[in-house]
Amino acid sequence: MLQQVNVNIDGANIRATRGTTVLDAAIEYGICIPHLCHVPYLSSISACRLCIVEHVVNGRSNVTASCTLNVEEGMVILTNTDKIRRLRRNLAELLVAQAPNSRAIQDIALRCGVKEVRYPFRNDDCVLCGRCVQMCTEVWKARAIGFVGRGKERHVDYPFGIRPDFCKQCGSCVQLCPMTIPPCDGPMKPGEEYLCRKCESQLMLADETPDHCVWCKLGESFGCGRYVGIKS
Amino acid sequence: MPRLNSFRELEHLRESLRGQRQAITTTVMVCGGTGCQASQSRAVIDAVRDELSTQGLSQSVRLCVTGCHGFCEQGPVMIVEPGNVFYCSVSPDDAFEIVSQTVVRGEVIERLLYTDPVSREKFRTESEIPFYRSQDRQLLSQNLMVDPCSIEDYIVVGGYSALTKVLYNMAPEEIISEIKSSGLRGRGGGGFSTGRKWSECREAPGDEKYVICNADEGDPGAYMDRCVLEGNPHLVLEGMMIGAWAIGAGKGYVYVRNEYPLAVEHSRLAVEQARELGLLGDNILGSSFSFDVDIARGGGAFVCGESTALMASIEGKVGEPRAKDVHTVVDGLYHKPTTLNNVETWANVPSIILDGSSWFASKGTKESKGTKILALTGRIKNTGLVEVAMGTPISTVVFDIGGGAVDGNKIKAVQTGGPSGGCLPLDKFDLPVDFDVLYEAGSMVGSGGMVVMDESSCMVDVAKYFLTFLQDESCGKCLPCRVGIDRMLEIITDITEGRGRPEQLDLLEELADTVSQTALCGLGKTAPNPVLSTLRYFRSEYEAHINEKKCPAGVCKALITYWIDPDKCTGCGVCIKGCVHQAITGGKKEAHVIDIRLCQKCGICRSECKFDAILIT
Repeated sequence: MLQQVNVNIDGANIRATRGTTVLDAAIEYGICIPHLCHVPYLSSISACRLCIVEHVVNGRSNVTASCTLNVEEGMVILTNTDKIRRLRRNLAELLVAQAPNSRAIQDIALRCGVKEVRYPFRNDDCVLCGRCVQMCTEVWKARAIGFVGRGKERHVDYPFGIRPDFCKQCGSCVQLCPMTIPPCDGPMKPGEEYLCRKCESQLMLADETPDHCVWCKLGESFGCGRYVGIKS
Repeated sequence: MPRLNSFRELEHLRESLRGQRQAITTTVMVCGGTGCQASQSRAVIDAVRDELSTQGLSQSVRLCVTGCHGFCEQGPVMIVEPGNVFYCSVSPDDAFEIVSQTVVRGEVIERLLYTDPVSREKFRTESEIPFYRSQDRQLLSQNLMVDPCSIEDYIVVGGYSALTKVLYNMAPEEIISEIKSSGLRGRGGGGFSTGRKWSECREAPGDEKYVICNADEGDPGAYMDRCVLEGNPHLVLEGMMIGAWAIGAGKGYVYVRNEYPLAVEHSRLAVEQARELGLLGDNILGSSFSFDVDIARGGGAFVCGESTALMASIEGKVGEPRAKDVHTVVDGLYHKPTTLNNVETWANVPSIILDGSSWFASKGTKESKGTKILALTGRIKNTGLVEVAMGTPISTVVFDIGGGAVDGNKIKAVQTGGPSGGCLPLDKFDLPVDFDVLYEAGSMVGSGGMVVMDESSCMVDVAKYFLTFLQDESCGKCLPCRVGIDRMLEIITDITEGRGRPEQLDLLEELADTVSQTALCGLGKTAPNPVLSTLRYFRSEYEAHINEKKCPAGVCKALITYWIDPDKCTGCGVCIKGCVHQAITGGKKEAHVIDIRLCQKCGICRSECKFDAILIT
């Protein structure tokens, strides 16, 4: 039997199934924690760190990623404090400076409150979120692509750089890739990147907004699509 | 040797070995550690061995090739018992003299004694030397007594008696409470209470549990773990056995990096010897305790020193950390409860069991107990491994043990704790070596690296060096570490190359804070420490780089110019010959001039000039 635990997220007492993560539990209740590398049916590798929350234990708060934090009875989670917003904005700024040529990334940056980018733009094709690798590994069990190299050299590639037979070119890696949708005004040329700030911040990467969205305060501060819609 | 089936048999073996050793009157202990091997100690050992057999002394004199003594600066080092005569910088040619004078007649060869570089005073024994005088060598002194390749040596000096004590007289809970009350904290850098770790692991559900010894030491310039593991592998093994018995583990791993060939070889040999004697395997010494150890070699990734990355590496996966929301004491190696401790932590365990927790707790400060081995390097007179009681002020380590600055320079800062630690300025030198105090000051004890810097070091350049190291060694899995370090390095490179802007300092600080709070593992969380601590204590240097476009220490090439002081230049022409870029011109006996368009700022002219006429601004 599935055990239920009580978790307090941003003051709301919610019931969640033991074994699910804080991120999944929060999304189910319409509390939108921004995330990139997490895909609902895949296990999390906790690489993008956008889904950070404050986990309050004995009055002390730890900043941790919610996609790998499992719910536990009596847990107190804060997803929308000044500190979290600041850290998340800085992370999103790093992210969008790395790959401005993705509508999804631009969207996340806007949702996380990035107003300006203080680093020189780079025009990377990949942000190493690992969604494609997780898909290939966990759903198709193919392991046709994986991470190669360390640190700055890290990239996604076939084994030894050659497409193996067991890659059936199913394309699910491409479907999950946040880099496949160019910004509305078209691809930006190297040296001409900018923060577009045009997107309507729809939940592009997760599933559709859950029916039981509770219109959380977080949505307002992140310019959640529903909030933006109702105001205008 | 036959398998030992009870602790009586072990004691019997110990007695008989001691009996055999009584005939030996003289022992020559030569350091065979990696540091001394680099200064040809192998040749010295061979020469002394040949000399002993030529003079027919092979039977009565024991030549003991030991692990590291710590004073690597003066290697190869040698101690002759009786008399405890300490010789340093020994060469193979000295073998005849040493054997015929010191070994045979007990005469001291003045020439080979250690000479204090300042007072020119000569010291006869190790304990008189200032380098050793202020130390409290609990672990390192055990290195001197044993040949790491010989289990007999270890047994003779009382080895494995802590194991018999726990197997026959102590319940696992008693061991854990003893370790807890000793106040032993992890020596690898985290400083987590070892007793608490053990008790959490013991209480974790599951029958199959593991212990791991972390010997994947990667901090630049630090080699404490290598020294202990290659110098006294049985001590580490005994510690692991005690830990395994306490938490209920049946299998252990020593994860040692492959760049430490001697440590790999010695720990492998130690495991084989212990298996042969039945100290590893099923029903150790006739008890119900079964335990075995394997040696796992690391490929040299710095990040594999992180516990979860290390475990992934042992499992055969890519050495990348994973989220540690469930601690490794519950969900560790192969998803089983695992206790991972550093080499030095394990090595401290046998003495705590034998001498009691109160003995251990009598050393150190309120929260940090015992002794700590530090790798002292940098711009000081005496470099090497030093072991001091916790709470010893940094100034004692740097000035009394380290002997102060070289070349009459003034010491500016000390970098403690390796790449994850921070730089402390001279006015913080009265701080004690203590986990919490150094953490408060923005640095950390870490694994024990201590790099001393003088005026010739630019703190911005130091931060840049450590960031470059961490950027290379980051696994690249999480965004803040991979991109954050890269961006910090980008900003610091801008600053050192004269493109810095004042607002970049705030950005740097904010970014460093973000990385330290959001990174996935310990490497990323501590990566900004070199930046944060230099910004905290040496902000003026950053500001000089940005506002005045000057490098006060004269290190950052883009911000300095070489010029020749015409009053000091005698026109000797040495610098003209030395300059590989033909940037210096001038006739004989007249002041030379550097063409700054051609000058590559290599510094050769400056080191060649005997009149200090070449200046940097």
